[in-house]
Amino acid sequence: MTQNIDTTISCAEFQDHLPELFANANGVPDDPTLKHHLNTCENCAALVRDLQYIADQARMLLEPAEEDPSDSVWSNIQSKMELERAEVEAATPPLPSQ
Amino acid sequence: MIETMSSESTPSTLQGLPPTQPPATDGPAKGLFKRNPPIAGEAEAIEAAKAGDPEAFSKLYALHKRRVYTLCLRMLGNVSEAEDMTQDAFLHLFRKIGSFRGESAFSTWLHRLTVNLVLMQLRKKGLQLVSLEETINPDDDSPKRDFGSRDPNLTGSVDRVTLERAVASLPPGYRMVFVLHDVEGYEHNEIATMLECSTGNSKSQLHKARLKLRELLRETGQPLQPAVLKEAVR
Repeated sequence: MTQNIDTTISCAEFQDHLPELFANANGVPDDPTLKHHLNTCENCAALVRDLQYIADQARMLLEPAEEDPSDSVWSNIQSKMELERAEVEAATPPLPSQ
Repeated sequence: MIETMSSESTPSTLQGLPPTQPPATDGPAKGLFKRNPPIAGEAEAIEAAKAGDPEAFSKLYALHKRRVYTLCLRMLGNVSEAEDMTQDAFLHLFRKIGSFRGESAFSTWLHRLTVNLVLMQLRKKGLQLVSLEETINPDDDSPKRDFGSRDPNLTGSVDRVTLERAVASLPPGYRMVFVLHDVEGYEHNEIATMLECSTGNSKSQLHKARLKLRELLRETGQPLQPAVLKEAVR
């Protein structure tokens, strides 16, 4: 006996499942209803492809940009470090004399 | 999935931040793993910097400034704020490097420290990162639903510069989750902890971020979808 599965859902219903679908299965559904919609709806298939593509392309950004902070950042860090070192030294009691 | 830095004191002792979670047993996230290759001379520089050697700290700055700055820039979307935050991150490192015990890669530890500082800064500014997304993502910024009004047959590719620009123009809440998840490799449960929201909220925010990016990339006339992805939806 063949089981009849209602495979008709709207694009809105399909797209409501996308956050979870991408979180668990990278946009590829196991659910027959969702799978059927994805296979038969050109628009949603294109949407899923684009979202997968964007997620994949984001990895390009893992490597740092070819851009350094300005030199003033290091100058400021150095100044503040020196100040903090001086404060620590000033707060440290002198060694007892021999 | 949070890296093995939970017992390192610096990131979790930042005032006002949630404590870091205990490490998972299945190793670092993909993104975290990729950014942790051994760096020649780093271990020696860390030990020397702990002992107060200014030259060693200078070397650590040279090794990590770009990654820290890039992270700040992506999360904040503003050069001036990113430079200020880079400065704060390294000053925080200067004060706390003694607590680094090498239980995780130094770059991971520094990375998490920076993320926490950025989040703390944004909270200070009163920005609700995720939980009140409607306030940070007004209707005009919300991605539109896609029910077939556009040409689905796009071809081509997105280059790095275009994607960087699009990410920078995302609303702050979307940008934060997108950068943490898709770029930096954090898991939804980690993001939920950092942003003090539910994992469902993190997933939803990420989805909206990608939808918004799709819109932005289309508006700039940047075509999407390489051929390799056609297989993925079959």
